[in-house]
Amino acid sequence: MLKLEQVSKTYGNKNEKAVDNISLEVHPGEIFGFVGPNGAGKTTTIKMMVSLLKPDTGRIFINGIDNQKNILEAKKQFSYVPDNPELFEKIKGIEYLKFLADVYEVPLTERQKQIEKYLDLFEIKDAINDPIGSFSHGMKQKLALVGALIHNPEVFILDEPMVGLDPKASFELKKIMREHCDQGRSVFFSTHVLDVAEKLCDRIAIIKKGKIIEVGTMDEIRTKAGSHESLENIFLELTE
Amino acid sequence: MREIINLTKLFLNDSLGFSLFFYNKTHNKKEFSKQLFTMIIVPVALIPAFFMYISFMTALYTGLRLINQASVFLTIGYIFTSALIIIFGIMYILSEFYFSKNMEELIPLPIAPRKIIISKFASILVLEYVFTALIFIPVLMIYGIGQGMGLGYVFLAFVVFLTLPLLPLALETALIMTIMRSFSIKGRKDVVQIFFIIIGISLIIGVQFWFGTQMGSSGEVDLQTLMNSLLDNNVKLLNMIGYFVPTSLLVAWGLNEINMMSVFWVFCLALITAFSFGLMVFIGEWFFITSLITGKTSRKGKKLTRAERQRSLGQKSHGAMAIFTMDMRLLLRTPIFLFNNVSVVIIVPLCILIILSFSHLTPQDFDAVKSFYDQMPMVVNFMLMGFFVFFGATSATTATTFSREGRASWLTRIVPVSPRDQIIGRTASALVVQSLGILFTLIGVYYYLQLTVMTILLTVILGVLGTVPILLFGLLIDMNRPLLDWDNPQKAVKNNMNVIITLFVGMSYVGLLIAISGVLGYLVNQWLGYGFFTIISLVLTIIFYKTINKNMEERLLAF
Repeated sequence: MLKLEQVSKTYGNKNEKAVDNISLEVHPGEIFGFVGPNGAGKTTTIKMMVSLLKPDTGRIFINGIDNQKNILEAKKQFSYVPDNPELFEKIKGIEYLKFLADVYEVPLTERQKQIEKYLDLFEIKDAINDPIGSFSHGMKQKLALVGALIHNPEVFILDEPMVGLDPKASFELKKIMREHCDQGRSVFFSTHVLDVAEKLCDRIAIIKKGKIIEVGTMDEIRTKAGSHESLENIFLELTE
Repeated sequence: MREIINLTKLFLNDSLGFSLFFYNKTHNKKEFSKQLFTMIIVPVALIPAFFMYISFMTALYTGLRLINQASVFLTIGYIFTSALIIIFGIMYILSEFYFSKNMEELIPLPIAPRKIIISKFASILVLEYVFTALIFIPVLMIYGIGQGMGLGYVFLAFVVFLTLPLLPLALETALIMTIMRSFSIKGRKDVVQIFFIIIGISLIIGVQFWFGTQMGSSGEVDLQTLMNSLLDNNVKLLNMIGYFVPTSLLVAWGLNEINMMSVFWVFCLALITAFSFGLMVFIGEWFFITSLITGKTSRKGKKLTRAERQRSLGQKSHGAMAIFTMDMRLLLRTPIFLFNNVSVVIIVPLCILIILSFSHLTPQDFDAVKSFYDQMPMVVNFMLMGFFVFFGATSATTATTFSREGRASWLTRIVPVSPRDQIIGRTASALVVQSLGILFTLIGVYYYLQLTVMTILLTVILGVLGTVPILLFGLLIDMNRPLLDWDNPQKAVKNNMNVIITLFVGMSYVGLLIAISGVLGYLVNQWLGYGFFTIISLVLTIIFYKTINKNMEERLLAF
């Protein structure tokens, strides 16, 4: 459903690669966690997946579509929520959601149903007619999540989604992620909250200095690490 | 004091981008070269205008001296500079105190709010001193040299120079803070910003009006007559300005002749300036800081019922329409974007109308113009077409279309909207802006000249057609070098070279196209002229459209 083949990216004049020849695959119905220290290349990898950055080498397939060759079709397959959603401050919440429903060509009844459902879940119904500039960080995060879920994407890509969310919203998001995958779709998300990754993800990849150093289910990672400890301990051992 | 200096340096660095410039020197050579080029080319491009200004002021002084009114020269220079400081100050003050978001980071720091206010003010003042040096020092020098003034004059003139930007800017800041405070409580911050922008525009129009009346009443165009007219007919006006800008009288009394009283008057001026500065700091502490910590500066919308929400979502729009609507909303709801992109289409027709209104045209003049139009409609048609295309070149709507989105541009880059729809949506918002200019111009011109339906149709259609290539060129430039990393919307437009590039290329294109088509129409056949204009516009439109359409998806990956 989401496939990266030998993807690399270098910034500016630096010789060091931000992402160094990484390959991974996310299967249908799978929640895939992407963990790594700060500056390891998580956000760069995600930005290449969602067509915000062009890889220097390698290919990325979203639902079987090459996101470099058939960019527009690839964009229809996913939705994305960045770690710090910068949204148009002068636009009202409802106008933002309508914009997304329009560009993803969501049918009228479907958009109304989806938006009502998620506004209820994330409890931002009362603020939806306010300018986004008046929203708190968490509310912006919730609005970006609602917007990303309107068209029920095949692949749901999130960068640090739990940051800024209140406990209830965080709980609801985890439920949504699981339900999304139960419908045969996929979720790919990066996180620093290793406890969440350990409990929620079907498979996990650990990235360090642009390279994937470990990938697999929790059990596979434990077996390879030769330990029965938590992901946190394994992560610390692997990334030190 | 050290804290104030450090903070001022920080604010200046933030607004001028020095740190980023030096970072780019080692880490991003391409961007560094672009910045360096801009830093050199902009001042160089202004050199001719500066020398024209010096020549004009010298001629003005000479003219006034011939009629023994040299003393008025300093008053005019002082008022002119003060007016410019006030006009440009509005945007600087709003930008530094209200658009900039660094206050949220500064307020929790253990720095006295007074120091933050003084530093913010000082950062504006530094830029205004540079501006004042360019505008007012030539005035002081021309007068000083012309009148053979000595060292006493140099000293007092220097003190006057030091007070000049400080005094109007301090009073203006205090006024803006007071008004902003009362409106921010009611959640109408944007409306007030737009109000100040309208004030700015009105001031510009006011200057146009004043010059218009001078030119209109002079009858002759030679400087001597203009000066006589200015002084004979406008003593009351100068006196009135003197009452509105009373400090100009102090400057005149202080510098016209140097004696003991001069020192007293300049001292009074310095005292008033110091008082104004103190007042600004006091009001800043009470109103500006209080309005920040009170919070809630944006107006909340009313809560929507389920039915209202569904109605809001219930109209499905095409991708191009979605992009157009978003672009228009951002343009109209962000005061600084509104000012920079929309104001020109209102200001220019208004200024021309005002000048025409005060030109004292006689019925004979009207008849002459009408008869010229009847005999040579093509000349008027081409002039109008040129004017309409001019709106396209001067409005930076497409040249900043991606830049205006700033850090939120990730959204319009990941959504599945085809390049065709992006082009249509973004160009359409610029055409809406331009159509306003066309409408205002036609209304204005129609008042003086009953245009035929043929002229209206022809000029509107060809005017729009001729504009599209410039709009697409702007889009192409902004697509290739968007300015997205800004924390203050002012930077998206004012610090954006795309605006200058589009303006320069657009104006050259308008000039050439109108000149060649006009000559063809005049010498061969008017329809050949219109045809040439149409074909060139269509060919360029197709070339730019295809280039953007082909490269946009790729470019959106490389922002």
